[in-house]
Amino acid sequence: MSTERSGNDSKLEQLVSYSIVNSDTLYRNLFYFTAICIVLISLAPFYYLFVIALTPSSRTTDAGIVPAGFDPSSFIEMFQVVPLHRFVFNSLVIAVMVTMIVLVFASLAGYVFGRMDFRGKPILFIGILVLSYFPGATFIVGLFRLLTGNISVLGISSPDLFGTPGVVALPLTTLTLPIAILLLTTFYSQIPDGLEDAARVTGSTRIGSLYRIIAPLSAPGLVTAGILTFITAYNEFFFSQLLTTGAAADWSPIVWGLSNYQTQVSVRYDLMAAASLFAILPIALLVLVAQKKIVSGLSGGTLRG
Amino acid sequence: MNTTGTIRQTIATVNNWIENRTESQFAYFMLFPVLLVFSVLALWPVLYTLETSLYADSFSQFRGEFIGLSNYTELVTGGRDSVLIRPFIDLGNPFQSILPVTLMFTAVTVVFATILGFVQALVLNGTYRGRSIVRVAVLLPWAVPIVVQGMIFYLLFIPAGAGTDLVNSLGLMGSQPLNESVTAFAIVSLADIWVSAPFIALIILAGLQGIDQNLYQVGKVAGASRWEQFRLITLPQVMPVLMIAMLLKSLMSMRVYGLIDATTNCSTVPSLTCGVVGTFNGSLYGTSAALAFITAILIGLVSVGYLIKYGNSSTGGI
Repeated sequence: MSTERSGNDSKLEQLVSYSIVNSDTLYRNLFYFTAICIVLISLAPFYYLFVIALTPSSRTTDAGIVPAGFDPSSFIEMFQVVPLHRFVFNSLVIAVMVTMIVLVFASLAGYVFGRMDFRGKPILFIGILVLSYFPGATFIVGLFRLLTGNISVLGISSPDLFGTPGVVALPLTTLTLPIAILLLTTFYSQIPDGLEDAARVTGSTRIGSLYRIIAPLSAPGLVTAGILTFITAYNEFFFSQLLTTGAAADWSPIVWGLSNYQTQVSVRYDLMAAASLFAILPIALLVLVAQKKIVSGLSGGTLRG
Repeated sequence: MNTTGTIRQTIATVNNWIENRTESQFAYFMLFPVLLVFSVLALWPVLYTLETSLYADSFSQFRGEFIGLSNYTELVTGGRDSVLIRPFIDLGNPFQSILPVTLMFTAVTVVFATILGFVQALVLNGTYRGRSIVRVAVLLPWAVPIVVQGMIFYLLFIPAGAGTDLVNSLGLMGSQPLNESVTAFAIVSLADIWVSAPFIALIILAGLQGIDQNLYQVGKVAGASRWEQFRLITLPQVMPVLMIAMLLKSLMSMRVYGLIDATTNCSTVPSLTCGVVGTFNGSLYGTSAALAFITAILIGLVSVGYLIKYGNSSTGGI
């Protein structure tokens, strides 16, 4: 007993002295270990989608770390049960619409907030940000009435957008605009004043210097803002679920596409998993291509300044 | 030729007009479209919802009679039994049961997502080969659609799911963890932590990258260990950013809806927003609007609380 303990102690002692001498190596190994754990935690749930998607629907109960059997037909069948491709297409169209509108408006506001001084600037800026932190629920009753043609001002009724892409795109525009404005305000404020001043002194008009100096420099900021807006719009749940009919032909987005598998007569888990993988494809590709931009945009842009 | 001439002339006139404005006038001119969009699609709906919250529910028309703050008082005191929300803790008082659930969810997810996010930020901040792979992996859970995030955890915890097997083998709970309130709460929290940690990580990463590297050099010379360097340099330096991250995460948690609806249909873990949606879908617009504003008020209180407590110490942001 006592010899065993001293044996352990000396091993422990060895380990401790080794760690002290080679603390950098130990630290590095610990770091790699943590990094691998982080990657596994993040990706394991996605891997599980593959497992379920490839497992034949009759054997779902046997699925574990590896699929029980191999049946890729769910990747085809998912389009036959629900017009999934149409739902994904709808989401893409809505996300592109939102991104384009947001970029135009946010670059205007970002320029004004980032580079100009005027009365009421802090109040307007904070007002826009505060409004964006209101829960989506506080908009819904008003938005629902407005976008279904139930509000009339001076005898003119608001348009009934139910069943069009606009019914989701418009609320999402306001939802994503503040973040884009914040991002671009920081971005524009970092462009040196001298450039614009020089253009003004040499006789360029306001619009001229905006067009010749600021616009060409703003591309990187616009790309980051655009990517983040697109991701938010494609992924949105709340308004998409409450303001659309649920039918693919009525421009209902992906929220409904995936929910529709749950309402089928026989629940097919393999189809749900396969459809989820298909739905994340556009976003996964975007993250792969633009990971650096996303990280710099979210970590550097939105909260500094 | 003629039309291009007219267009050119118009542009020149507009340009001239803009040149003759003061800076303030030009700023408002440029902001006009944004302010218009915000007034119509954000400010107005919020005010309209606020107004609706003062009216009684009515099934025959959009608004019943004007009842002042009754919707609010009845929700807070639990005097309403028509609310179509499934209970979690207290069967008789829907609001008083969804409030504790939301607050508990907020506390749990803020704490654990911050811890996981901090570790992710430290990993993202290193320099090593394969960093872009780590970056993609960390971002992915945050970037995918909410309905997919929910679907993943739904599939993990169906009776045949791998997560259910794990829970069972640990002897924790029955075969339908999503239908039992305690396990469902744990699952929804787990999903939310997995989803939102990257968001926190990216904010903390900004703080980490802002730290003056000379501090570490000084620390090394002074003989500080890695742990001491972390505790005495890293932690205090990122504290302001950490607080902002936790504030933003608290606000997100308090208005949570999509993830809960996608995993449990809002039936076992009702959040405040679940209540709003449930009443909205039941055409109880007055109640729904009042509940939405109670949520907004709570979120406002939390923000103000954070700002009073940490507002002075935070250097950047809001």
